[in-house]
Amino acid sequence: MHIRHGWILTLALIVGVGPALSNEGGVAGQSSTFEQPAFIASVGQSAGAMQARVLADRAGMQFTFEARPAPEMLEGHKTLIVVLGASTKGLGAAGVDIDAEIAWATQLLEKARASGMSIIAMHIEGGTRRGPSSDQINTTFAPLVDHLIVKGAAPNQEWAEAEEANGNADGLFTTIAAEHRIPITYIARTLDAVGALQQLFGIEAGR
Amino acid sequence: MVLRMAATLSIVCVPVAFATDLLASGADPVAFATDPVSHDIRPGYGVTETRWLSSYLPALANTPGDTPVYVMEGEGEGGTLLLLGGTHANEIAGVMAATLVVERGAVSQGTVIVIPHANNSAARYNDGTRHPGTPQWIELTTSSGEVRRFRYGSRRTAVEDQEPDPAVFVHPFGGELAGEEARNLNRIHPGKADGTLTEQISYALFQLAEQEDVDVVIDMHESSMTSRLALMMVCHQRALEIGAMATLDLEMEGIVLKQEASQEEFHGLSHREFGDHTKAYAFLVETPNPGQEESIEQPDVVNDPRAPLSGRVYTHLRTVQAILDSYGSTAGPDRRIELGFSFAIDALKESNLGTFLR
Repeated sequence: MHIRHGWILTLALIVGVGPALSNEGGVAGQSSTFEQPAFIASVGQSAGAMQARVLADRAGMQFTFEARPAPEMLEGHKTLIVVLGASTKGLGAAGVDIDAEIAWATQLLEKARASGMSIIAMHIEGGTRRGPSSDQINTTFAPLVDHLIVKGAAPNQEWAEAEEANGNADGLFTTIAAEHRIPITYIARTLDAVGALQQLFGIEAGR
Repeated sequence: MVLRMAATLSIVCVPVAFATDLLASGADPVAFATDPVSHDIRPGYGVTETRWLSSYLPALANTPGDTPVYVMEGEGEGGTLLLLGGTHANEIAGVMAATLVVERGAVSQGTVIVIPHANNSAARYNDGTRHPGTPQWIELTTSSGEVRRFRYGSRRTAVEDQEPDPAVFVHPFGGELAGEEARNLNRIHPGKADGTLTEQISYALFQLAEQEDVDVVIDMHESSMTSRLALMMVCHQRALEIGAMATLDLEMEGIVLKQEASQEEFHGLSHREFGDHTKAYAFLVETPNPGQEESIEQPDVVNDPRAPLSGRVYTHLRTVQAILDSYGSTAGPDRRIELGFSFAIDALKESNLGTFLR
């Protein structure tokens, strides 16, 4: 399954499903768009990937987690979830620099596409992951996915959380989503990604 | 085993100002450098035993690096937490959070070992190197109207306790830092039994962690208000999942912490070395301290409304509880560590810290 929704459809399907979850694009109600099992990986090796693991667990998902997998490890999975955000500590721990990380992640996404997998990108650490290195990753990979989950303010949304928690203060992800016609789910708190994942994977809430 | 010792041990109730008073009078600090400074900490019912850190490295006894270790053993068996305040003695919220645990904490399961002044030499006086406008003491008024004084110390071991600084500090596992960092407890872990005073303090902490079978280490720190470190939880790689669960749960309460993984090549930090060299899950938590903000000429480290001390202490204590909750859900019910308080700690968000002290 590889879905790219048209821009007109995207606009037509703008829905709000709760105070903390603002969806724009191809997620309507509890309809399932993505299939399990998923594979969760980090692009940039930030701690957000581990948060995504916890979120997916709380969402009741079937998934495999490996922060920096070999592309072959994706076999047998239906959806790749990449968690975007560069951490110098995380990259250092992996023994790579940002260029090597981008080269590796490019191969990972290519493998996912070649295997017919859908791809979701999560940016769930807010402004913390909006420095130059993180944005190198964000702008390289966010345009390549089928759905974005972003902790940040939707267009024209009043941001009630801490300013630093807004990963979309400059509208970067809104722009990427619009230019590449990618559905985007905005969340105000990281934990709201549980509901977003449940919605995207058609998992009944409260599981 | 539950030892409920009287809270009248001389090491905890001695008035404390003599070192600073001598300094202020121009006396030679070396003359009294053999005794550890005492602090006004009044153990509550939760404390079952008080020791010295030198119990774990006898060479530390009668040195300015020795420091009280408060053991809080719950009725139910479980895991063990080592809670450190005062690794940097100017990062006062960590000191006070640990103090509040000692005075008002209650452990129902497992064991909590608290060291409010991990680097007691750094707690002798404020050398002002981090911010010349910060105080020597903070004063907090208790609910009975008593004014209690707590030392606002320095970042590093007192210079007269460990001289001279090397030109360059080289960590044995790699990495070079400015020579003065040889006196920074959070750069020299895991220490050395026959090393400098700071290395001996560190070594004793690691001996404690090993001998007491510590499962979780939490080192409470502060940063400047504008630092990217402010409101951050740094986790050893093995502790990332527990940290992730904790940060997500804290977020629901309005405590938003950035989570970072410990940098593998940067040796000497508590989260790196406790995680590498003991079985413990290691965390370091940072709250924002106005006293570390260079742009504030005369910082109010207690009452600044942007980051009041009571709120920073609340953040530390709720984070400790969240980490313990997450640890318990990972380690299983028989390893849980349950730390509560004899008051509703949410009240810290609204009230003066002193009203919660004994």
